[in-house]
Amino acid sequence: MDEQPIIQIKDVHKYFSDSIHALRGVTLDIYKGEVIMIIGPSGSGKSTLLRSINNLEEIDYGDIIVDGFSVKNHKDINKLRMEVGMVFQQFNLFPHLSVLNNIMLAQKIVRKRSEKDALKNAMILLDKVGIPDKANAFPAQLSGGQQQRVAIARALAMNPKIMLFDEPTSALDPEMIQEVLEVMIQLAREGMTMAVVSHEMGFARAAADRCILMDAGKIVEDAPKDELFTNPKEERTKLFLSKIL
Amino acid sequence: MLPKNNKEITNKWLNKNLPQVGELSKIDPWWGLVLIVLALIVLLLVSQPDPYQRILNFTEDGIWITLLVTLVSSVLTLVLGLFGGLGRISKNKVIYGIVSLYVEIVRGIPLLVQLLVWYFAFPAIIAQAGIKFNIPAFKNYLANPVMMAIIGISVCYAAYMSEIVRAGIESLPAGQMEAARSLGMTRLQAMQYVILPQAYRTIMPAIGNEFISILKDSSLVSVVAVSDLTRRGREFMSTTFLPIETWTMVALLYLLMTLISARIVNIVEKKTKMDK
Ligand SMILES: Nc1ncnc2c1ncn2[C@@H]1O[C@H](COP(=O)(O)OP(=O)(O)O)[C@@H](O)[C@H]1O
Ligand SMILES: [Mg+2]
Repeated sequence: MDEQPIIQIKDVHKYFSDSIHALRGVTLDIYKGEVIMIIGPSGSGKSTLLRSINNLEEIDYGDIIVDGFSVKNHKDINKLRMEVGMVFQQFNLFPHLSVLNNIMLAQKIVRKRSEKDALKNAMILLDKVGIPDKANAFPAQLSGGQQQRVAIARALAMNPKIMLFDEPTSALDPEMIQEVLEVMIQLAREGMTMAVVSHEMGFARAAADRCILMDAGKIVEDAPKDELFTNPKEERTKLFLSKIL
Repeated sequence: MLPKNNKEITNKWLNKNLPQVGELSKIDPWWGLVLIVLALIVLLLVSQPDPYQRILNFTEDGIWITLLVTLVSSVLTLVLGLFGGLGRISKNKVIYGIVSLYVEIVRGIPLLVQLLVWYFAFPAIIAQAGIKFNIPAFKNYLANPVMMAIIGISVCYAAYMSEIVRAGIESLPAGQMEAARSLGMTRLQAMQYVILPQAYRTIMPAIGNEFISILKDSSLVSVVAVSDLTRRGREFMSTTFLPIETWTMVALLYLLMTLISARIVNIVEKKTKMDK
């Protein structure tokens, strides 16, 4: 891959307080169409790294450039965010809006699409995530797996160039994990650039290109997924994999 | 037989705050109290037109003034309180500082004193400034009692309303704002379309209570030359020397107004909850 990375993370530091140094010099390039899986123990900074990419966390040092927009340039932050879809562990659907309106709201007020276009797009996406029959339901009436699929559709509706997933299946009952992973795998096959924090080996096997292990705010190992899982170089990686596999 | 009935009634009354689907169509038992108070007033008017009919006739314009002051103050309080609440969660330190100072000061001074300031001190300040800087319009400034009363109540109550709005917004999970921002919405758009519509549902009962408090506290404006129900009652008493009859009637009229307001608030509340 000789072209420019679509995300450039350059020596990023993040402090939550003097004593909490959540990111300690993270450098990472993500190329168009790549699916990156980020693993690591709890508290290692995975969420903070992901949330820094769309500036939900403001970084203290270094820079992140997403499709030409820097997170340091606050004027363009909403433009940057339009290009980056995010899926949260807790779904974060808007409970006062129907499924359709959840997917249409930002299309209308951020992308300035007409009601008709937004609706058409929303129905296509609901079809894609497999729940067109829930269009008029409210989030509280859906199962966790269905809610997460709506959340994915809501993010996709903005036509992002990159999708970030922060433990998208961790809050789900086991029987619902697969339906969400299938949507994500499908998305990866279609060529979406994705950064996924997850320990789901099923997804890693089916869709990941590269895998990154984080520990204590740093990237410990960054390797093609087959190498990282079968032949890890670092002791930290071996130790961590022995715990989760 | 009796204990069972009693239990049923208690249960019904206990459940009043837990709205169930379809309950709106049922008749709310609290309307019974409204009817009792209304019946009491009618009974007094019919059985002893003198003095009760006379009291009602004399204070009628006061009732309208009380309702006017309450209504306009409530709307202003809501609008100011909304901005105050947004100011209290503002990331801008200057806005946050100014609004917080306002809330602290206003909450530390009794409403009656604030009304006296607005009616007596504020116009005096304007007049003196007019003399000092030679502005004729200011020199002859005369305070309109109703306007000053409305300003006084709104400025005071908006401070409390700000805290209600702030608490309502802060009660929502942080993920709601984050999801909205991650979709590219500005903070203002997220507030307008995602945060406030949800906060409204949780703070609706508190807002309703504030409106009813405004109705009751509006009686304080009687000391700053506003001819509201309370002031008209006092005027009637001082010419007729009928304290018992006058204040019985005035008290019943206030009770009727607050009870009806409480029912209206209750209906709106249930409707909001059912929309969910
Ligand atoms: N909002 C916050 N305030 C203070 N500390 C935080 C906050 N968010 C995360 N942290 C701390 O930053 C570190 C990294 O957290 P996080 O990125 O959530 O880790 P992970 O997602 O890998 O579990 C942890 O020590 C965590 O306690
Ligand atoms: Mg995390």
